[in-house]
Amino acid sequence: MKIRPTNTEIAEVNMTPMIDIVFQLITFFMVINNFDQNEADERVALPRDQLAKPPAVQRKDAFVLNFGFDRDKDGQKLSELPFLFFGDEKLSLEQVRPRLRQESQFYSAIGTSLEDVTVEIRADANVQSGLIQELIQMCQESGIEFQRFALKATQKSVP
Amino acid sequence: MKLRNRVGERKIDVNMTPMIDVVFQLLIFFMCTLKVIEPEGDFDISMPLGAPSAASVTEADLPPFKVRMEADAAGDLQTLFFNGTSLGGGAQALAKLNSEVFRAITALQAIGKEQQEKQEVEIDPDYNLHYRYIINAIGACSGRLGPNGVPVRYISRIKFAPRREP
Repeated sequence: MKIRPTNTEIAEVNMTPMIDIVFQLITFFMVINNFDQNEADERVALPRDQLAKPPAVQRKDAFVLNFGFDRDKDGQKLSELPFLFFGDEKLSLEQVRPRLRQESQFYSAIGTSLEDVTVEIRADANVQSGLIQELIQMCQESGIEFQRFALKATQKSVP
Repeated sequence: MKLRNRVGERKIDVNMTPMIDVVFQLLIFFMCTLKVIEPEGDFDISMPLGAPSAASVTEADLPPFKVRMEADAAGDLQTLFFNGTSLGGGAQALAKLNSEVFRAITALQAIGKEQQEKQEVEIDPDYNLHYRYIINAIGACSGRLGPNGVPVRYISRIKFAPRREP
């Protein structure tokens, strides 16, 4: 079989509109992506309240405590007691004390007054409130002494 | 002015392919790293250091509003008390709490605007109460959503009572 020689002239496609749109898309995705919420742990299902508003001024010194349950893929709890998540690590409430002490010493070492440090507590909606109070109490123990706390919630109210 | 004749100019061909390659890579990267997160807000809690009982006297010597929350065995809100008065249970109780706080705040404003800022709320939940009710109660005490979505603030100083034993 003989192949017919194709027309060797390159068809010129106008790329400009496509590139325009692709750049628009890139910009869109870059803006939508919020890089600063990296500390949020997906395992924590936050409670909802319509009055929870992000702070008007970005807090300079804040650290996040993720307090939630170990969940499987369907969102079912794997254990009755909640854990504190630090990346891949998970600690029970009793195990977190040295971690808090470390954090407190870190802020003292870099010369930040502990009065200016906010502890942001991202706790699961189903955690027992006594445990939250225990956690706050633990953050106030001597040697740790954090003073400012914020409780996180998602803004949307229950439909 | 006379414009020069441009007939002789030749179009310069730029090779777009590498750029488009890279741009598509970037596009795919941003699409893949996209995480849909609902906007998060928070409530400030004022928990000064020191013994909770000793620190409970406010500067204006006003006693804090006491919100007592009783839980049932499953950890749901059973009864809500505002300064000792029962407001029932469920979502209705939280709405009632909101209007009770508003009434109390209006009474305070009659004395002076700064009294409202000094006023504290003390939340006293049962040990096994689910945390979501705490957030809802804090929300009910801290204000309400105005008609155009702008929140009206009631009380911003919220603290916890000493923990109850399970």
